[in-house]
Amino acid sequence: MVRESLWGFQILAAMHILALVLSVGTLIWFDLRLLGFAMRRCRVSELYRQLMPWTGAGFLVMCTTGGLLFSGSAASAYGNLAFRIKLSAIVLAGVNALVFHLITERTIAQWDATPQPPLAARLAGLTSIVLWVSIVVAGRMMSYTLY
Amino acid sequence: MAAKTLGSLTNVHIDFFLWLQSTRVATTIANSLFLLAGLSAVHLVGLTLLVGGTLVSSLRMAGIFLAGRPVADITGDPDRGVVVGLGISVVTGLLLFAPRASAAGENGVFQLKMCLLIAAASFHFTARRRIIRQPATSPGQLRRAGLVGLALWISVALAGCAFIFLE
Repeated sequence: MVRESLWGFQILAAMHILALVLSVGTLIWFDLRLLGFAMRRCRVSELYRQLMPWTGAGFLVMCTTGGLLFSGSAASAYGNLAFRIKLSAIVLAGVNALVFHLITERTIAQWDATPQPPLAARLAGLTSIVLWVSIVVAGRMMSYTLY
Repeated sequence: MAAKTLGSLTNVHIDFFLWLQSTRVATTIANSLFLLAGLSAVHLVGLTLLVGGTLVSSLRMAGIFLAGRPVADITGDPDRGVVVGLGISVVTGLLLFAPRASAAGENGVFQLKMCLLIAAASFHFTARRRIIRQPATSPGQLRRAGLVGLALWISVALAGCAFIFLE
Protein backbone atom coordinates (compact mmCIF):
# COMPACT_ATOMS: atom_id res chain seq x y z
CA MET A 1 0.00 0.00 0.00
CA VAL A 2 2.83 2.37 0.96
CA ARG A 3 4.60 1.63 -2.33
CA GLU A 4 1.51 2.14 -4.46
CA SER A 5 0.38 5.41 -2.93
CA LEU A 6 2.75 8.21 -3.90
CA TRP A 7 1.20 10.65 -1.42
CA GLY A 8 1.22 8.03 1.34
CA PHE A 9 4.93 7.56 0.85
CA GLN A 10 5.66 11.29 0.74
CA ILE A 11 3.65 12.02 3.88
CA LEU A 12 5.18 9.08 5.78
CA ALA A 13 8.70 10.13 4.76
CA ALA A 14 8.05 13.74 5.82
CA MET A 15 6.61 12.57 9.17
CA HIS A 16 9.62 10.27 9.64
CA ILE A 17 12.03 13.19 9.19
CA LEU A 18 10.03 15.59 11.41
CA ALA A 19 9.78 12.93 14.15
CA LEU A 20 13.53 12.38 13.86
CA VAL A 21 14.13 16.10 14.30
CA LEU A 22 11.94 16.04 17.44
CA SER A 23 13.46 12.92 19.03
CA VAL A 24 17.13 13.37 18.13
CA GLY A 25 16.87 17.16 18.46
CA THR A 26 15.81 16.83 22.11
CA LEU A 27 17.92 13.75 22.95
CA ILE A 28 21.08 15.58 21.87
CA TRP A 29 20.57 18.11 24.71
CA PHE A 30 20.49 15.33 27.28
CA ASP A 31 23.66 13.88 25.72
CA LEU A 32 25.34 17.31 25.80
CA ARG A 33 24.35 17.64 29.49
CA LEU A 34 25.91 14.22 30.17
CA LEU A 35 29.07 15.46 28.46
CA GLY A 36 29.04 18.54 30.70
CA PHE A 37 28.75 20.88 27.70
CA ALA A 38 25.24 22.28 28.15
CA MET A 39 22.79 23.34 30.86
CA ARG A 40 25.37 22.50 33.53
CA ARG A 41 23.31 24.11 36.31
CA CYS A 42 20.45 21.74 35.69
CA ARG A 43 20.25 18.36 37.40
CA VAL A 44 20.77 15.46 34.96
CA SER A 45 17.74 13.56 36.31
CA GLU A 46 15.51 16.64 36.10
CA LEU A 47 16.53 17.31 32.50
CA TYR A 48 15.93 13.65 31.66
CA ARG A 49 12.41 13.67 33.15
CA GLN A 50 11.50 16.85 31.27
CA LEU A 51 13.03 15.89 27.91
CA MET A 52 12.02 12.25 27.65
CA PRO A 53 8.29 12.75 26.90
CA TRP A 54 9.30 14.79 23.81
CA THR A 55 12.09 12.43 22.79
CA GLY A 56 9.84 9.41 23.40
CA ALA A 57 6.92 10.85 21.41
CA GLY A 58 9.22 11.62 18.48
CA PHE A 59 10.78 8.18 18.73
CA LEU A 60 7.39 6.46 18.63
CA VAL A 61 6.31 8.32 15.48
CA MET A 62 9.76 7.76 13.93
CA CYS A 63 9.60 3.98 14.56
CA THR A 64 6.01 3.66 13.32
CA THR A 65 6.59 5.64 10.12
CA GLY A 66 9.99 3.93 9.67
CA GLY A 67 8.33 0.50 9.95
CA LEU A 68 5.67 1.46 7.41
CA LEU A 69 8.25 2.89 4.99
CA PHE A 70 10.32 -0.28 5.38
CA SER A 71 7.29 -2.49 4.65
CA GLY A 72 6.93 -0.70 1.29
CA SER A 73 10.40 -1.70 0.12
CA ALA A 74 11.58 -4.36 2.56
CA ALA A 75 13.48 -6.55 0.14
CA SER A 76 15.49 -3.79 -1.55
CA ALA A 77 16.04 -1.97 1.78
CA TYR A 78 17.37 -5.13 3.38
CA GLY A 79 20.08 -5.42 0.76
CA ASN A 80 21.00 -1.73 0.96
CA LEU A 81 24.34 -1.05 2.70
CA ALA A 82 23.21 2.29 4.17
CA PHE A 83 20.12 0.61 5.64
CA ARG A 84 22.26 -2.09 7.25
CA ILE A 85 24.58 0.53 8.75
CA LYS A 86 21.56 2.50 9.96
CA LEU A 87 19.93 -0.53 11.59
CA SER A 88 23.20 -1.61 13.25
CA ALA A 89 23.68 1.90 14.63
CA ILE A 90 20.08 1.89 15.99
CA VAL A 91 20.76 -1.41 17.78
CA LEU A 92 24.02 -0.01 19.19
CA ALA A 93 22.22 3.17 20.34
CA GLY A 94 19.71 0.94 22.14
CA VAL A 95 22.52 -1.03 23.81
CA ASN A 96 24.23 2.24 24.82
CA ALA A 97 20.98 3.53 26.39
CA LEU A 98 20.43 0.22 28.17
CA VAL A 99 23.96 0.16 29.60
CA PHE A 100 23.51 3.76 30.78
CA HIS A 101 20.19 3.02 32.52
CA LEU A 102 21.20 -0.33 34.01
CA ILE A 103 24.74 0.47 35.14
CA THR A 104 25.85 4.12 34.94
CA GLU A 105 22.59 5.64 36.18
CA ARG A 106 22.70 3.56 39.39
CA THR A 107 25.16 6.04 40.93
CA ILE A 108 23.36 9.14 39.63
CA ALA A 109 22.67 10.41 43.17
CA GLN A 110 26.42 11.10 43.48
CA TRP A 111 26.77 13.17 40.31
CA ASP A 112 23.26 14.40 39.45
CA ALA A 113 24.01 18.07 40.19
CA THR A 114 27.70 18.16 39.22
CA PRO A 115 28.43 20.26 36.10
CA GLN A 116 30.61 17.47 34.69
CA PRO A 117 29.31 13.91 35.18
CA PRO A 118 31.76 10.96 35.53
CA LEU A 119 33.58 9.42 32.56
CA ALA A 120 31.08 6.58 32.06
CA ALA A 121 28.19 9.06 31.72
CA ARG A 122 30.21 11.33 29.42
CA LEU A 123 31.07 8.34 27.24
CA ALA A 124 27.38 7.36 27.08
CA GLY A 125 26.53 10.90 25.91
CA LEU A 126 29.29 10.98 23.31
CA THR A 127 28.43 7.50 22.01
CA SER A 128 24.77 8.47 21.71
CA ILE A 129 25.58 11.62 19.71
CA VAL A 130 27.98 9.78 17.37
CA LEU A 131 25.50 6.95 16.81
CA TRP A 132 22.48 9.19 16.21
CA VAL A 133 24.37 11.42 13.78
CA SER A 134 25.46 8.22 11.96
CA ILE A 135 21.83 7.06 11.88
CA VAL A 136 20.71 10.38 10.36
CA VAL A 137 23.54 10.32 7.78
CA ALA A 138 22.91 6.64 6.89
CA GLY A 139 19.18 7.38 6.60
CA ARG A 140 19.77 10.17 4.09
CA MET A 141 22.29 8.02 2.18
CA MET A 142 19.66 5.30 2.08
CA SER A 143 17.04 7.53 0.52
CA TYR A 144 19.52 8.62 -2.17
CA THR A 145 20.66 5.10 -3.00
CA LEU A 146 17.35 3.25 -2.65
CA TYR A 147 14.60 5.38 -4.21
CA MET B 1 4.93 18.00 -9.15
CA ALA B 2 5.92 21.55 -10.02
CA ALA B 3 4.91 24.03 -7.34
CA LYS B 4 3.56 27.40 -8.37
CA THR B 5 5.95 30.32 -8.26
CA LEU B 6 5.22 32.84 -5.51
CA GLY B 7 7.21 35.66 -7.02
CA SER B 8 8.29 35.86 -10.62
CA LEU B 9 12.03 35.88 -11.26
CA THR B 10 13.70 38.81 -12.99
CA ASN B 11 16.25 38.30 -15.76
CA VAL B 12 18.98 39.21 -13.29
CA HIS B 13 17.87 36.36 -11.00
CA ILE B 14 17.65 33.89 -13.87
CA ASP B 15 21.11 34.86 -15.18
CA PHE B 16 22.57 34.59 -11.69
CA PHE B 17 21.01 31.17 -11.06
CA LEU B 18 22.23 29.88 -14.44
CA TRP B 19 25.73 31.17 -13.70
CA LEU B 20 25.62 29.56 -10.21
CA GLN B 21 24.62 26.22 -11.72
CA SER B 22 27.50 26.36 -14.18
CA THR B 23 30.20 26.94 -11.54
CA ARG B 24 32.72 24.20 -10.84
CA VAL B 25 31.37 23.68 -7.30
CA ALA B 26 27.79 23.23 -8.56
CA THR B 27 28.68 20.81 -11.36
CA THR B 28 30.92 18.76 -9.03
CA ILE B 29 28.08 18.39 -6.52
CA ALA B 30 25.50 17.67 -9.24
CA ASN B 31 27.62 14.83 -10.62
CA SER B 32 28.29 13.15 -7.28
CA LEU B 33 25.57 11.15 -5.57
CA PHE B 34 27.88 10.81 -2.58
CA LEU B 35 28.27 14.60 -2.24
CA LEU B 36 24.55 15.22 -2.71
CA ALA B 37 23.60 12.61 -0.10
CA GLY B 38 26.34 13.71 2.29
CA LEU B 39 25.40 17.39 2.07
CA SER B 40 21.74 16.52 2.49
CA ALA B 41 22.59 14.45 5.58
CA VAL B 42 24.65 17.25 7.16
CA HIS B 43 21.85 19.71 6.27
CA LEU B 44 19.45 17.51 8.26
CA VAL B 45 21.89 17.25 11.20
CA GLY B 46 22.04 21.07 11.26
CA LEU B 47 18.26 21.29 11.17
CA THR B 48 18.00 18.77 14.01
CA LEU B 49 20.35 20.84 16.16
CA LEU B 50 18.46 24.02 15.26
CA VAL B 51 14.93 22.74 15.88
CA GLY B 52 15.93 20.71 18.98
CA GLY B 53 17.64 23.77 20.46
CA THR B 54 14.77 26.09 19.74
CA LEU B 55 12.30 23.54 21.13
CA VAL B 56 14.16 23.27 24.44
CA SER B 57 14.64 27.02 24.89
CA SER B 58 11.17 28.00 23.59
CA LEU B 59 9.40 25.47 25.81
CA ARG B 60 11.25 26.95 28.79
CA MET B 61 10.15 30.43 27.71
CA ALA B 62 6.59 29.15 27.43
CA GLY B 63 6.80 27.78 30.98
CA ILE B 64 6.17 24.22 29.75
CA PHE B 65 9.67 22.85 30.23
CA LEU B 66 11.88 23.13 33.39
CA ALA B 67 9.62 25.93 34.66
CA GLY B 68 11.35 25.99 38.05
CA ARG B 69 14.71 26.95 36.56
CA PRO B 70 15.81 30.50 35.65
CA VAL B 71 15.21 31.22 31.94
CA ALA B 72 18.83 32.25 31.35
CA ASP B 73 20.13 28.91 32.78
CA ILE B 74 18.13 26.92 30.25
CA THR B 75 17.92 29.05 27.09
CA GLY B 76 21.61 30.06 26.76
CA ASP B 77 23.11 26.79 25.52
CA PRO B 78 20.21 25.65 23.29
CA ASP B 79 20.12 29.09 21.68
CA ARG B 80 23.83 28.76 20.89
CA GLY B 81 22.92 25.36 19.40
CA VAL B 82 20.40 27.17 17.20
CA VAL B 83 23.17 29.42 15.85
CA VAL B 84 25.48 26.44 15.16
CA GLY B 85 22.64 24.43 13.58
CA LEU B 86 21.61 27.40 11.45
CA GLY B 87 25.22 27.91 10.30
CA ILE B 88 25.52 24.24 9.27
CA SER B 89 22.13 24.26 7.51
CA VAL B 90 22.77 27.53 5.63
CA VAL B 91 26.21 26.46 4.32
CA THR B 92 25.05 22.98 3.25
CA GLY B 93 21.76 24.48 1.99
CA LEU B 94 23.64 26.88 -0.30
CA LEU B 95 25.78 24.02 -1.64
CA LEU B 96 22.65 21.94 -2.29
CA PHE B 97 20.93 24.93 -3.92
CA ALA B 98 23.79 25.69 -6.32
CA PRO B 99 23.41 22.66 -8.67
CA ARG B 100 19.66 23.24 -9.12
CA ALA B 101 19.46 26.99 -8.60
CA SER B 102 17.05 27.84 -11.41
CA ALA B 103 14.60 24.98 -10.71
CA ALA B 104 14.60 25.62 -6.95
CA GLY B 105 14.59 29.40 -7.37
CA GLU B 106 11.30 29.37 -9.22
CA ASN B 107 9.70 26.71 -7.01
CA GLY B 108 6.93 28.25 -4.86
CA VAL B 109 7.52 25.93 -1.90
CA PHE B 110 11.22 26.78 -1.90
CA GLN B 111 10.44 30.50 -2.09
CA LEU B 112 8.04 30.08 0.84
CA LYS B 113 10.74 28.22 2.79
CA MET B 114 13.21 31.07 2.22
CA CYS B 115 10.64 33.71 3.32
CA LEU B 116 9.89 31.70 6.48
CA LEU B 117 13.63 31.24 7.10
CA ILE B 118 14.22 35.00 6.89
CA ALA B 119 11.24 35.63 9.20
CA ALA B 120 12.36 32.98 11.73
CA ALA B 121 15.99 34.14 11.83
CA SER B 122 15.04 37.83 12.02
CA PHE B 123 12.64 37.16 14.90
CA HIS B 124 15.12 34.90 16.69
CA PHE B 125 17.99 37.39 16.61
CA THR B 126 16.00 40.57 17.30
CA ALA B 127 12.68 40.56 19.22
CA ARG B 128 13.09 37.14 20.87
CA ARG B 129 16.63 37.82 22.02
CA ARG B 130 15.65 41.27 23.36
CA ILE B 131 12.75 39.78 25.31
CA ILE B 132 14.99 37.12 26.94
CA ARG B 133 17.58 39.71 27.93
CA GLN B 134 15.17 42.36 29.28
CA PRO B 135 14.97 42.10 33.04
CA ALA B 136 11.40 43.44 33.11
CA THR B 137 9.91 40.90 30.68
CA SER B 138 6.57 39.51 31.82
CA PRO B 139 5.88 35.74 31.75
CA GLY B 140 3.22 36.38 29.09
CA GLN B 141 5.67 38.20 26.80
CA LEU B 142 8.22 35.45 27.30
CA ARG B 143 5.66 32.76 26.51
CA ARG B 144 4.44 34.51 23.36
CA ALA B 145 7.99 35.13 22.09
CA GLY B 146 8.92 31.49 22.75
CA LEU B 147 5.90 30.10 20.96
CA VAL B 148 6.14 32.47 17.97
CA GLY B 149 9.84 31.60 17.52
CA LEU B 150 9.13 27.88 17.77
CA ALA B 151 6.24 28.09 15.30
CA LEU B 152 8.41 29.97 12.80
CA TRP B 153 11.29 27.45 12.90
CA ILE B 154 8.89 24.49 12.69
CA SER B 155 7.24 26.08 9.66
CA VAL B 156 10.70 26.34 8.02
CA ALA B 157 11.23 22.61 8.68
CA LEU B 158 7.75 21.78 7.32
CA ALA B 159 8.35 23.83 4.18
CA GLY B 160 11.73 22.07 3.81
CA CYS B 161 10.03 18.66 3.98
CA ALA B 162 7.37 19.80 1.52
CA PHE B 163 10.09 21.01 -0.86
CA ILE B 164 11.89 17.65 -0.78
CA PHE B 165 8.83 15.46 -1.07
CA LEU B 166 6.48 17.46 -3.32
CA GLU B 167 8.90 17.95 -6.15
